Amino acid sequence: MISVNPEVSSVSANQVTDPSQLTAEQTALEMKNLNLFYGNKQALFDINMKIPKGKVTAFIGPSGCGKSTLLRCINRMNDLVDICRVDGSIELEGKNIFDKDVDVASLRQNVGMVFQRPNPFPKSIYENVVYGLRIQGINDKRYLDEVVEKSLRKAALWDEVKDRLNDSAFGLSGGQQQRLVIARAIAIEPKVLLLDEPTSALDPISTLTIEELINELKETYTVVIVTHNMQQAARVSNYAAFMFMGELIEYSDTNQLFTAPSTKKTEDYITGRYG
Amino acid sequence: MKSWFKSGSPWIWMTAGAVSISLISVIGLLLLIAWRGLSFFWPSAIHQFDVQQNGQNAVVIGEVYDREYVPTTRLIQAGVDTKGFKGEEIERLLIKTGNREYVDLDFRWILRTDIQTQTKPSGVAVFERSKNGNFYGFVSQIIEDGKTIDNPSNEQLEELIERAVNFNEEALDLQNGPIGSINYRLERIRLEERALELKEKLTPEDSAAFNQERKELKANYLELEKELFNLRKLAERDFVIVKDMRGEQVRIPLSQVLDVTFPNDMSFITKAGRFLIQVSKFITDDPREANTEGGVFPAIFGTVFMVMLMAVIVTPFGVIAAIYLHEYAAKNAVTKVIRIAVINLAGVPSIVYGVFGLGFFVYMLGGSIDELFYPEASPSPTFGTPGVIWSALTLAILTLPVVIVSTEEGLSRIPSSIRQGSLALGATKAETLWRIIIPMASPAIMTGLILAVARAAGEVAPLMLVGVVKMAPTLPLDGNFPFIHLDRKFMHLGFHIYDVGFQSPNVEAARPLVYATAFLLVSVIVALNITAIGIRNHLREKFKSLEH
Repeated sequence: MISVNPEVSSVSANQVTDPSQLTAEQTALEMKNLNLFYGNKQALFDINMKIPKGKVTAFIGPSGCGKSTLLRCINRMNDLVDICRVDGSIELEGKNIFDKDVDVASLRQNVGMVFQRPNPFPKSIYENVVYGLRIQGINDKRYLDEVVEKSLRKAALWDEVKDRLNDSAFGLSGGQQQRLVIARAIAIEPKVLLLDEPTSALDPISTLTIEELINELKETYTVVIVTHNMQQAARVSNYAAFMFMGELIEYSDTNQLFTAPSTKKTEDYITGRYG
Repeated sequence: MKSWFKSGSPWIWMTAGAVSISLISVIGLLLLIAWRGLSFFWPSAIHQFDVQQNGQNAVVIGEVYDREYVPTTRLIQAGVDTKGFKGEEIERLLIKTGNREYVDLDFRWILRTDIQTQTKPSGVAVFERSKNGNFYGFVSQIIEDGKTIDNPSNEQLEELIERAVNFNEEALDLQNGPIGSINYRLERIRLEERALELKEKLTPEDSAAFNQERKELKANYLELEKELFNLRKLAERDFVIVKDMRGEQVRIPLSQVLDVTFPNDMSFITKAGRFLIQVSKFITDDPREANTEGGVFPAIFGTVFMVMLMAVIVTPFGVIAAIYLHEYAAKNAVTKVIRIAVINLAGVPSIVYGVFGLGFFVYMLGGSIDELFYPEASPSPTFGTPGVIWSALTLAILTLPVVIVSTEEGLSRIPSSIRQGSLALGATKAETLWRIIIPMASPAIMTGLILAVARAAGEVAPLMLVGVVKMAPTLPLDGNFPFIHLDRKFMHLGFHIYDVGFQSPNVEAARPLVYATAFLLVSVIVALNITAIGIRNHLREKFKSLEH
């Protein structure tokens, strides 16, 4: 059986065990009857879930189960795929993000995303961090300097790069690049931060640093993380959702999901029978 | 043997052999044109031959220009007396004798067997003249301001030549500078007046003002003209008397002499210095004598100017078209057909573009521009005639496919993770394009530009229809407002090669110039490319992420 991070367990002592019981204030995102199709093939089936505010929620499941697809719905990255069609709704603070009057660019400013592989821009470290702000038209040097320091400190990268902010971001190691990408995402102060297998391309030490970072980030942001690694899900998340073949099988408090799964499929998966 | 085949080494030999053959032919070509072009500038020794031809004795002085071996039988058929010579072939020398106005031909073939003696006499002077080519002979007198000086020293002669050259240059500067400007201004006044007349807005006051200005310019002109004649007269003061190969004393006005050298008395180092001077003259001087003498500066300038103008036009068009095709156009059959059509455009023969450029740009576009904006100049066309802008445009559409294809390739090489990273930060597609994609594609855009420049700089055929001329009196860039004259015709190194090589009245004299110009054209293209490659490598360094 997988051991759950004591820190997380201690928090979970006074948290709502069943996320469907979350009140409107505690909910950051709510998905209602979400179906997703790639052409004729359905990839997500009738997803209903509430993502709690200020917590870390992990999506776990075997490859191809739709967890990344679900994550990409939240900031509408699936729009980039021509043949993709979505039914149902995702409400961000009570507003359906699929509504016609929603501006995708400003939605993405509220829902930041970090990808599997570090993808810094071919610019300096400084310019990478302020990219989102410059897009918003903010060019005040003093303000940008402030944001750069704050974001890099939050991403636990400041001490390593403060003397070479104008060097190319490509000079950083993979782990540093991933933290830079996180700093870039939090520089625009999103409400929700989506992490799509953020450590799968990194070495164990960088992974540890990023996990510690996620623990700190939940103080300020709602974090949703997709991970292949169940230990990681157990270590960093407050809630966990197990998905299988495009369906949400089980969604509950992480502690409960890992120690007392309610369905057979979940149990099989977390005990390593398949996946 | 079988295992040797299996090992794959024949394959390596074959591929390496193909590379070597390509390399050898390229290097061989470059060496040939470099050698034949550059050796022309080296001061060669002047030989004196005592020749007995058909029972007559003669003295021939000149450079050995070429040599070949002719079969004796052919000479006998041609009626040459070859009695007493054995062997199948006789060496024949081509002598450049110069002195064009005094001999029938300034190039002359001499059979080796006719030569009685061959010497390299000291003191032979080679005069480079502004008319009639070189003059070879022995200096016997100079006439300085009417006074005759016997057996002058070389320094005395050089001093007088320098004086004449300086006056001539001053006169030329005066002619091209102030006098040219007055003529230009007079033409502008005529056009302005005509424009007002056509609009029926010409008031008597205007007329008076124009006439007043015209009068001032004319007065100014007369003054300058007087100065010009004065300078010319000063340049014409002195003469040199030279004994030529016929033994006659010939009087040469120093105003026609550009330079004098004594190649037989030169040391190697003086010759090297002379070589450099001649090369730099070739690059910086204007052509003379139907392009067979002098330099090629206007052609170099025209080539570079036109290519740069083309690059300025083709880059934005090509890049924008590629962005639409790659980023915005739906990925369907129509786009595919358009893409294939674009690629096929690169295979259309260039002369077809020339015809298109003449019909569409020059006559339609230029003609309409003339009608709309330059009615005062009609019937003489302003833009409705071949010119540098139409050449640049024609070559721009000719090279457009290259830029589009390589830009598209660059765009498709950019990892989608980078695009998504930008979009995920709230950037729109256009912002992502401007801030991330285009900068990252810039090395590929530069590659397209390099290929475009290489193709455009070497293209001659379409230019003959849309703007190139044998001899352009003015550069497309000068000191008269608006300084850049896109309607003017221009000279081009590629066309210059064709013109000098095939349209020249003096084939022998022109031959080394063909090689020299070809070498120069290659050098110009290489220089343009190296600059572009330098910029590209700098950009690549900046956006290195594409490599992994």
